[in-house]
Amino acid sequence: MTRTILLAVPVLALASLSTTAASADAQDQELSLGKDVYDRWCAGCHGVDGAGAGPGAATMLPRPRDFTRAQYQVRTTGTGELPTDADIMHVIDVGMPGTAMPGWEDALSRDEREALVAYLKSFSRFFESGPEPTPLEFGSAPSSSEATITEGARLYQEIECWQCHGQAGRGDGSAAATLDDDLGFPNYAADLTRNWLFNGGGAVEDIYRVLRTGLDGTPMPTFSDLIESDIVTDDQLWSLAHYVRSLSPARAPAVREVITATLDESELPSTPDDERWASVQPFYVPLAGQVIVKPRWFSPRVTNIWVRALHDGEDVVLLVSWTDPTQSPSSDPDWASFAQRVVDTMEPKDEGSTWEPGAPDRLVVQFPQTLPSGLERPHFLQGDARRPAYLWSWSSEEDRAVEMVAEGLATGQQQPDENQQLSAVSTWSEGEWRVLFRRPLMTPDIAADLQLPLATAVPIAFQAWDGDNGEAGKQNAVSTWYFLALEEATPATVFMAPVAAFVLTAAFGLGVVARAQRRYTEAEERAGQAGGA
Amino acid sequence: MRLWPSEPFGQTVAILAIAYLLIELGIPYIPPLFGLASAPAPDSVVFQYMLTVLMGVLIWVSDNEERWRAFKRPIQRVLVEEKRKPIRVALLVLVPVLVAFIAFDQARPSLSAPPSFRAIHPAPPGSMTFRDRTIPITGLENPLRHEGRLEAHYEEGKRIYYRNCLVCHGDLLDGQGPYGPAFNPAPLSFQDVGTIQQLTESYVFWRIAKGGAGLPNEGGPWNSAMPAWEEFLTEDEIWTVIIFLYEQADKTPRTWEEVAGSEGGPQ
Repeated sequence: MTRTILLAVPVLALASLSTTAASADAQDQELSLGKDVYDRWCAGCHGVDGAGAGPGAATMLPRPRDFTRAQYQVRTTGTGELPTDADIMHVIDVGMPGTAMPGWEDALSRDEREALVAYLKSFSRFFESGPEPTPLEFGSAPSSSEATITEGARLYQEIECWQCHGQAGRGDGSAAATLDDDLGFPNYAADLTRNWLFNGGGAVEDIYRVLRTGLDGTPMPTFSDLIESDIVTDDQLWSLAHYVRSLSPARAPAVREVITATLDESELPSTPDDERWASVQPFYVPLAGQVIVKPRWFSPRVTNIWVRALHDGEDVVLLVSWTDPTQSPSSDPDWASFAQRVVDTMEPKDEGSTWEPGAPDRLVVQFPQTLPSGLERPHFLQGDARRPAYLWSWSSEEDRAVEMVAEGLATGQQQPDENQQLSAVSTWSEGEWRVLFRRPLMTPDIAADLQLPLATAVPIAFQAWDGDNGEAGKQNAVSTWYFLALEEATPATVFMAPVAAFVLTAAFGLGVVARAQRRYTEAEERAGQAGGA
Repeated sequence: MRLWPSEPFGQTVAILAIAYLLIELGIPYIPPLFGLASAPAPDSVVFQYMLTVLMGVLIWVSDNEERWRAFKRPIQRVLVEEKRKPIRVALLVLVPVLVAFIAFDQARPSLSAPPSFRAIHPAPPGSMTFRDRTIPITGLENPLRHEGRLEAHYEEGKRIYYRNCLVCHGDLLDGQGPYGPAFNPAPLSFQDVGTIQQLTESYVFWRIAKGGAGLPNEGGPWNSAMPAWEEFLTEDEIWTVIIFLYEQADKTPRTWEEVAGSEGGPQ
């Protein structure tokens, strides 16, 4: 008995030594795989040294994560704490919506992603020691109701979310122009009406988690302390999450190629705030930075617009709305310095930038000057000399829209006053511009203006500028070509087809039944006769 | 409880229902078995498959006289019998209504986008000018493949790609960078088998240098958001980016020997 124990001790010791050696070896192997994956796929933005300053970083706002600081936005742990491995894995898998960070779940194997988590942690000594971070207790989402939304709205006021996010949640709060992240880069307050762009996800559980943990490294604080000090309850914080979720559409919008202008023979709405707009279908148009000709722009503020259209057979009205935290130029000097900081932050600095503090907001609706007969149309960046573009150009400076003809981006020439048939009414409220354009379908100015025919897909494109974000001239947000189609009154002949189809099918059906019944009766009679004989 | 019908008519209906479920719900599971993205069958394909199944079933039921008669029996009953009159009347109304509805849907004027025909890889010119210098495209190889260190070119190409190309073509070179969804046509994916793998490096050089504006008409130059990179990059910089693209996407360029071998095939 004693001897076995004595023998067992050195054997066990040896065994444990060799497992330590083996696990150190496995750890090295994992780190080396992690480094290979990182250098190939991540270093372009986050830098070979993990400091978040790879070659692509300067074209991005927000900037890529600096792993050497061990500060992570999306966590299940308390503010100021390290993330769990699962937290880091989660962001690698799904990416960071609203930023340049994509999800890697389908691109990298599970082993590669796990090795990557280990390698990212090796950039900071904070991960070396100390206990494994423990996630906060979240519970599961209580269901949403009118009462929770009202309670959430009350809390939104009470804990002053509007300071940064604004009263309607569009990131236009009074403090929004002063926001920096921990590295000193300008920080956009999130637009809470577009949950598909939320850092860390747009589901109500994601919003609640961010309220509990904050987004470390950004000005978004934690509200867990309010629960700990009994100022709000956990349920109230869930209500706030439900309220914030309710500010966005139920589903992320989809892009549709054709914007339909519905025929409305009653009087067309004459203001952007007319309540009839609520029943007109909105079309979602994503915009991207103008990165095609010099000077390029990699940080557009207007990343999508909404378009609604109606016509009455005489005139067409187009309501374009978009999130913009200010009426540029804002009377708040903080916005001028915010714009300056964005301009200073962004690379590349191509020659030809025309932005100056005080620049207005602008919106251009663009058409080809003449309706293309084939597929050819002007280049989507305001055409060229061979195929000019016809523009409706609105500016917050004059608060009016004019018709222009352009042969390339920012070359638009205003048409003479006697040829202006376009009118525009705009409103700005709670971080949103709404601009209503109105023009007759047909104008006397046949050569210079595009005439708008019914039931035809007319190419249409959009460009937007936010002056208080450093945008002017060619530095703006652009879309490629979409189509505008003016609905036609349904011609009477259309109703002939279904009537004819109904009559023919019914007659055929009756014929089949009649024939079957006649045959059946005949067969019965025959059977009867046969039986009789 | 017996689920499987005993009569040929019921069996036909059951077979059609099962076939529909398999085609509609089963097909999306097949591509992932081969590591491809799941894709549902388009309606026209579903219709074709269902037609094939229907033909097969009809051949089977009409194959022997007795089964054929058994198959027709329930149909005759609905057409003739007094107690099945409600079903008969319902069918006589519902079927024409359905047909009328389809006819209306077809006749209604639809406001759809005109079809867009676009040659993704239009034929290149034999030579091009690059900032006033004439460069032949036919027969041209990437000069940097035989000059300097390949790793250095890759690193330089990577630096340029991340600063300039990433916003559209993306980290994964799949055309899904942050700006990708805002552009139509979408930025090219270099991961697809039909893109850079089918092209010579000089073709890629031509496309990068001249961009969307330099496309011939069949390429739809008015829609393309591709910049003309000769405005931004030097010849050598473009060649390094090309080395990076093939290396990062793990593809090999087409050689001029292959082009000569396939005579007049797509460039």
